[in-house]
Amino acid sequence: MTNPSHAEHQMQMKRQSSGRLMIFGFLSPSLVILLFMVLYPFLSLVYYSFYNFSALRQGAMKPVGLGNYRFLLSDHQLWERFIFTGKFVFICVALQMLIGIFVGYQLQKNFRGRDVVFTLLMMPMMLSPIVVGFLWRYMLNSEWGIVNFLLSSVGLPKIDWLGQANAALWAAAAADTWMWTPFIILLATAAFRGIPETIHEAAEVDGASPAYKFFRITLPISAPVLFIALILRLIDSFKQYDLFIALTGGGPGSSTETVSFAVAKTAFSYFYTGEASALAVILLVIIIGLSMILVRHLTHISQRF
Amino acid sequence: MNSSRTSAFDHAGRWLIFALLAIYTLYNIGPVFWLLLSSFKSRLDLFAMPPKLFFTPDLSGYESVFGVGAAANNASSVGVLDSLINSIIVSVSGTSLAVIFGTLAGYVCSRFNFVGKSDFMFFVLSTRMLPPVAVLVFYHMMFARLGLADTRFGLILVSIFANVGLATWIMKGFFDGVPREVEQIALVNGYSRMYAFTRLVLPMVKGGIAATAGFCFIFAWNEFAFSSILTTTQAKTLPVKISAASGATGLEWTQICAAGVVLIIPVLVFFYLIRKHLLMGMTFGVLGRR
Amino acid sequence: MNLRTRMRLAVSSLALCAGFAASAAQAETTLTFVWHAGTCADALMDIAKDYPDKSVKIVPALVPYGPQWHDKIASEFAIQGDAFDFAMWDSQSTAEFAAHAVKINEIFDKSDYLKPDLFPPASLSRYGEYPDGSGEFFGLPANQDAYGLTYRKDLFEDPKEKEAFKAKYGRELAVPQTYQEARDVAEFFTRPDQGLYGWAQMGGRDYDFATTASNSFLWSFGGELYNPETFEVKGYLDSPASIDGVQFYVDMFKYGPPGSTNWGFDEVNTAIQQGQVAMAMQWFYFNGSNADPNVSKFADKLAFGVLPGAIGRDGKFRRQFSVGGQGMGINKYSKKLPELTKFMEWYFQPEQQKRYAAVCQTGLKAVLESPEWQNLNSYNRQFSQALAYLNDYWHLPEYPVLLDELQQEISAAAAGTKSVQQALSDAAEKHERTLQRAGYEIKRGESTPEVPDQVISPVGQDEVVPVN
Repeated sequence: MTNPSHAEHQMQMKRQSSGRLMIFGFLSPSLVILLFMVLYPFLSLVYYSFYNFSALRQGAMKPVGLGNYRFLLSDHQLWERFIFTGKFVFICVALQMLIGIFVGYQLQKNFRGRDVVFTLLMMPMMLSPIVVGFLWRYMLNSEWGIVNFLLSSVGLPKIDWLGQANAALWAAAAADTWMWTPFIILLATAAFRGIPETIHEAAEVDGASPAYKFFRITLPISAPVLFIALILRLIDSFKQYDLFIALTGGGPGSSTETVSFAVAKTAFSYFYTGEASALAVILLVIIIGLSMILVRHLTHISQRF
Repeated sequence: MNSSRTSAFDHAGRWLIFALLAIYTLYNIGPVFWLLLSSFKSRLDLFAMPPKLFFTPDLSGYESVFGVGAAANNASSVGVLDSLINSIIVSVSGTSLAVIFGTLAGYVCSRFNFVGKSDFMFFVLSTRMLPPVAVLVFYHMMFARLGLADTRFGLILVSIFANVGLATWIMKGFFDGVPREVEQIALVNGYSRMYAFTRLVLPMVKGGIAATAGFCFIFAWNEFAFSSILTTTQAKTLPVKISAASGATGLEWTQICAAGVVLIIPVLVFFYLIRKHLLMGMTFGVLGRR
Repeated sequence: MNLRTRMRLAVSSLALCAGFAASAAQAETTLTFVWHAGTCADALMDIAKDYPDKSVKIVPALVPYGPQWHDKIASEFAIQGDAFDFAMWDSQSTAEFAAHAVKINEIFDKSDYLKPDLFPPASLSRYGEYPDGSGEFFGLPANQDAYGLTYRKDLFEDPKEKEAFKAKYGRELAVPQTYQEARDVAEFFTRPDQGLYGWAQMGGRDYDFATTASNSFLWSFGGELYNPETFEVKGYLDSPASIDGVQFYVDMFKYGPPGSTNWGFDEVNTAIQQGQVAMAMQWFYFNGSNADPNVSKFADKLAFGVLPGAIGRDGKFRRQFSVGGQGMGINKYSKKLPELTKFMEWYFQPEQQKRYAAVCQTGLKAVLESPEWQNLNSYNRQFSQALAYLNDYWHLPEYPVLLDELQQEISAAAAGTKSVQQALSDAAEKHERTLQRAGYEIKRGESTPEVPDQVISPVGQDEVVPVN
């Protein structure tokens, strides 16, 4: 506009200031509460990571600079743990996304009893994680568990699920996937149902196959939401260790210890607060790095649409 | 149009999809059913081989959870009702506030571009990244000093903090699916931003709010790490109370399973109540392409 | 206001004040304790309900059995809080928590009733003395426990089995006195096609499962975990005698049900209750319920005894196994010590402890020595015998770290991913590193004995001293 009228100019100013007010007002509750809850603990975390500190034996505290980091990073067990965690996270997120998107896609059509089916499918996610750990430990018991019973009744050999590292990895992945696929299903269904029928119909009229419809229409439009689901699941699976405590206790040896497991152990069993903080910082750096890459990708995708 | 080859392929595809769905449904619901069944089994039945589908039900697990019958004198069952009330108060307040804060923040991050927006979004996400154990001791110290330890208010704060990041990101995703034209038309017609937000945009994201509320409620209800360390007697929540499960016979499996069933019921009820909104979905391109 | 109203007001406010004063005088003191949920906590609460001083209320703050139990106590101590006034913790955690617990010696001095001689000296030392031999106590025996032997007496008394055993091994079938004997019996009873196995033991990575069992072997063969005077671990933990013990332990899994290499006490209980094993290593704590027909299918066929010893490579016989149980410690930061002391003076009376002993295991000498207690059930007598052969983990604040490192190696050896020799020397390596980082000085001696345990526990030296 070359010559905005006075009234229009005034409206624009009002919009801008109301906009700014809205930004400030809408952001402050979240910002205030997050800063309040995060500031002290996080600063303490970084602070104590430079100390040889145990909250239980505070008298013996002394600064060690990068000592904790050096000790942790030179421990080959740490790298083994990262590799194990990486494998676990990759398997879980991949399976959950694949199954979640597939099931979510099927659920978008209306059919009788869909509400009930949907609520039932959400149940694994609703269970308390402590109970889930115990439940799978009970089901995977090599002597009295139902899984091995079913295997042996179809002639397959019984597997020692919880006593060998490889089997335990898949057992934990099965339990984690069981529990969290509904998360993806929920978000995927919401995303898919939002695509108006008209677009689908138009594509069908043009002779598009179901595969084409899915990969070229449904997926790209719902990509932003699916990506958010991916990032959230990724972050959450890095934190998983309750499951491993219940299933294997981290064994045999330390082969099923994830990095979070090590943090929990160092922080609470050992009460080596400084060392645990350093380990947590290392873990955080890695997760932040990964998320940054993903988030940047997400902004690219959403900007395209 | 339809060659017989396509329709045969179609049929096979449909059967395959059906089979896969059936397998997944079994995998999903099977263990839940097994949990329900096991919650009524005595210890002898629980470990019987081959596993029993039919047996005399044993209510000792549920008795232990509720502190009635044979378990009336169990020290661990005293105060179950109190912890249920605590859980309800903490979860409902925490969820509502987290959803509200997250919705507001998600909206402005979806609509406006301002300095530090991506930093804010990333910061909000990062609050979810650390396993709580890493910082539990520091929270304990902080809460003790502020007099928040063993209080419901303290737990509500934890609940909000733990969920507001999730809420913000999911709601932003849903808001991104609402075309900007909705507000622009309203503004051009002289309505305020608030009006546009509350009367026009918000109803369109009811699905998102339902989904977010569902997730937040699950996380708030099942929260264990913070609750077990930060509470001792007054503000104990239900999961912490009834997951205590070791006794003279070893692990009290019946009680653990019964606790699991009892704990899932409120969540099921909540999800059932909001089921219509959950499946409402998003609103891509209602007014054409964005 | 007129005079009458004023008078009424004055009288009612006086009455109110009197009421407040009365209720203030009756104000309740709460004594909170932390323990893991279970029958023993229930027993304590049941007894506490009858505490004569009604202005004091005992409140339980129970946690799940598992890491949360240790964590809850540790976290509260870390912030020097008083959310609980007293707590029960595993005997091995005494060293860790001593700095935050009230020194019981002060209570012994001030109280008329609570004195050290209320408890057997060994018990008192085990559940509260830190450092070892110092005479300073930070806990009282709340619940004693020991590792024991559970076996199917129907198998041992069956004449057909006895005949077959004698034919194969040339001696009588009897409850084993040494692990070498146990191996023969276990081999004899391992019949997978009948669903029967000879021996069940823990091998789980979690908590202290594997090492509770493996230590019992290690000590009986003459090995040691470390040298408490010089803090040497290399040469002790991985001495030939220790390796003998742990190797024997790992080999015994051959006679256990499949998958038992990662068992905890719960799975062992299940095996016992299902009658799947002829012999099992299990805590005395579970004997009560394993002998209960409502829980255990084989309740009436079970008998309980003392664990075997072993003949080490130096030809000497030793019998040592793991101690369990909890001590009661008082939170240093609690402000209710006087009330708590009075409660303890009442709680540790024989009357109350007798009630407790009906369900769990007391530490009060008066009860332990009474014939009533000895005859209470089929295993109390064996339990008091077992008390002579107990040994424990390191009584150091670094106990949880050392435990975890040893657990890691032992469970790896049990699963077969490492040789016993490698596992023990790796463990020794890690232990010394941990001790050094914690500030201990390791005084390296010139040589370490092949069989470190030179002071053989009071069981005789050249001959097997039978028990059971």
